[in-house]
Amino acid sequence: MSSSGVIEVANCYIREPSLCSKKHIGVNMKGIWIAVAAIVVAAVVVGGAAGYVLMTEDDEVESLRLATTTSTYDSGLLDYILPVFENETNCKIDVIAVGSGQAIELGKNGDVDVLLVHSPAAEKDFVAAGYGESRTLVMYNNFVIVGPSADPLNTENAKNASEAFQKIYDNGTAGLAKFVSRADNSGTHSKELTVWSTLGYNKTLVAAFPSSWYIQSGQGMGAVLDMCEELDAYTLSDDATYYQRMDENIIPHLNMTYSGDSALFNQYSVIPVNSTIHAHVNHTLAAAFKNWLVSEAGQDLIASYEKYGHQLFFPNATPQTARVASLLIDESMDVGEGVTRGWNSFRVLRWTDSFPFHAVH
Amino acid sequence: MISTGSELLDVTLLSLYVSGMATILGSAIGIPLGALIGLKEFGGKGAVKTLTYTLYGFPPVLSGLVVYYVFSRAGPLGDLGILFTPTAMIIAETFLVIPLVTGITITSVVEVDRSIKDTVKALGASSSQSIVTVMREAWVGLVMACMIGFGRVIAEVGAAYLVGGNIDGETRVLTTAIMLETRMGHFEWAMSLGIVLLSVALMVFLFLRLLQEREML
Amino acid sequence: MKPAICLEGVSKKYDQIVALRDASFTVSKGEVFGIVGPSGAGKSTILRIVDLLEAPTEGKLLIDGQYVVANSVRAEAVRRKIGMVLQKPVVLNRSVANNLGYSLMIRGWNEDRIAEVVDAELRRLGLNGRRKTNARNLSGGEMQRLCFARAAIHDPSILLLDEFAANLDPTNVALLENQVQEFIRKDPNRTVVIVTHNMFQAKRMCTRIALIWDGEIVEIADRKKFFESPDDARTAAFVGGESIY
Repeated sequence: MSSSGVIEVANCYIREPSLCSKKHIGVNMKGIWIAVAAIVVAAVVVGGAAGYVLMTEDDEVESLRLATTTSTYDSGLLDYILPVFENETNCKIDVIAVGSGQAIELGKNGDVDVLLVHSPAAEKDFVAAGYGESRTLVMYNNFVIVGPSADPLNTENAKNASEAFQKIYDNGTAGLAKFVSRADNSGTHSKELTVWSTLGYNKTLVAAFPSSWYIQSGQGMGAVLDMCEELDAYTLSDDATYYQRMDENIIPHLNMTYSGDSALFNQYSVIPVNSTIHAHVNHTLAAAFKNWLVSEAGQDLIASYEKYGHQLFFPNATPQTARVASLLIDESMDVGEGVTRGWNSFRVLRWTDSFPFHAVH
Repeated sequence: MISTGSELLDVTLLSLYVSGMATILGSAIGIPLGALIGLKEFGGKGAVKTLTYTLYGFPPVLSGLVVYYVFSRAGPLGDLGILFTPTAMIIAETFLVIPLVTGITITSVVEVDRSIKDTVKALGASSSQSIVTVMREAWVGLVMACMIGFGRVIAEVGAAYLVGGNIDGETRVLTTAIMLETRMGHFEWAMSLGIVLLSVALMVFLFLRLLQEREML
Repeated sequence: MKPAICLEGVSKKYDQIVALRDASFTVSKGEVFGIVGPSGAGKSTILRIVDLLEAPTEGKLLIDGQYVVANSVRAEAVRRKIGMVLQKPVVLNRSVANNLGYSLMIRGWNEDRIAEVVDAELRRLGLNGRRKTNARNLSGGEMQRLCFARAAIHDPSILLLDEFAANLDPTNVALLENQVQEFIRKDPNRTVVIVTHNMFQAKRMCTRIALIWDGEIVEIADRKKFFESPDDARTAAFVGGESIY
């Protein structure tokens, strides 16, 4: 049937209910029901639309789209710091909290204006390929090893993260311990792989660890901690998610068994999307946001955020903290990225030259 | 995070708006399409039906990805700038509704007895008039098609998250809120939101059931 | 005067099965034409071809002297002059009144006229009190009378009845036959074709009768000749009741 046929069908549909007039044949029930249906449908749509309009009534203010990782959002940090920037600059930030990989993909396609992510290697590729304008270090948080509260493997007394992992490996293969991996290409997962690589296990070898002790979950951090609680297993977690789960008494049988190795620092960077590739991005606001994050005010605000009784994020863009921390970070990254990456990480430091206080090493 | 009643209301209304619009659009396309496929004879009809039924299994995330690529700034319709808006969510979810509604409509109109189709024709109905009459005879099935379509999108999270972005106050719907709360370990709160979602669905289904059970006089 | 219906060498095959072989006959205006024969002989096939529901495999069909092909645009217009009642009463899932009005509605009548005509018909049928009832809730006899009224309400010039009173009790058969007689009386130019296996009904109602056997027309004769002195032995046997199976 042609398209005119479709129209014909539609016309018939309209015509049919008018078959009988009320006074002769009785009340036209179908008409009533169609009217009721129309009213309800209209109510739903209008109600929904009204709700939507109410939600977006402040649309006149400039908006900035920020793609970030779930960790910064779920920890509550962004809810704490963003309103300050929004008020200062009279803008609105739309936060899209996704996995690091997805966030970077959104940046590549120009669907967001700025990234706040923690995947150093991917970030460098992103900037090197021209999608990102510059990569500026903002803050870090800590990865920690979490395990059964009794810490049967005594990872607490390990000299460093590598030794703790070695203990887990030895006991795991002996059937005495379990480890749950994110195994989802997240920032946490790549950090875990970095530590394994110091022991000589590359990505392929790790993926081939027997599932009897090495559980590749493919789950988010919170879900992995919940699994560890059930399985009395060890895992590598970011501290924020760990504190939150502890605080809400979701993982009473777990404890932080090892922390403190600089190799477990988790560096966050801000990257405005390159406006020469994607002309429509709000570059001015993105740059302002970047400058604010690394400003003294922004950094102090990050440092002042406490949750579950702990400071969760440690600013390292200001001269006081940046020099030491960023050196540590880039050293620790090099552990995982290998010697060939050394030059790259050096270049990263130079890219942050745009920030006046940041020293070049 | 949803912390106030008005936020919950906004999220609920947006869920209704997105799923409602997707169901209406999907049905407006799927019902006529299904009636034509079911009642018209044409070459390759079997293949078209099989394709339609196959698309029942279309993964929501995949629909989201397709819509993402189309409306991404790097995609063909990127200049419209509708990514991360409810409009993009409605489009992605409409694609999920269409195959279901089309398929169930096909089955419903085919199920209408041969003798009714003959009678309608014998009474003098034109080809388009008989399609409309057969559709009306298949009323229960058509309402069922809308119900299943609505059920699919109100409960869907993959596409809504991908093309909506779960932006607080902008594109957060009940399912993406549930996902967020679950991710944060707030299982009880996530379950409460689930109950809200089911209550909303209950209202819609009650109404549709009423519409379905009415004998269309 | 042009004949109402004319078949010229009409055959119908379903796959390899021949349902009708080389049927040729003419029905004039004003005739009540009967088609009798055993089950599966091809009686219904003839009616379906005449109502343009099916295209013949071979041969031609003329309605009111004009050549018509099934599934053509003109077929829809021609079919609107024809009414047809099937053996099994089929009502639409809507009220008695709307079932009656359906034939008029699809012909584009205006609402007030539809209401008027439907109203009169409901009274004649004695169903006025149940006009709002869903037609599916009627009894078998009421349903079949409704179907007949629905097919005849738009005053078709040709009425095709396919075993229209089979499986009904004598009262309803009588009521239905009365409806048919009334329909014929209203206009002497109307043509009725009745397919039946009931010899008595054919004898009561038809002016001319054809016997169809195994897809072939065996004999066509006026009522008197058909029942009293048929040419063909099979007709004699059929009329005598020996071959009813």
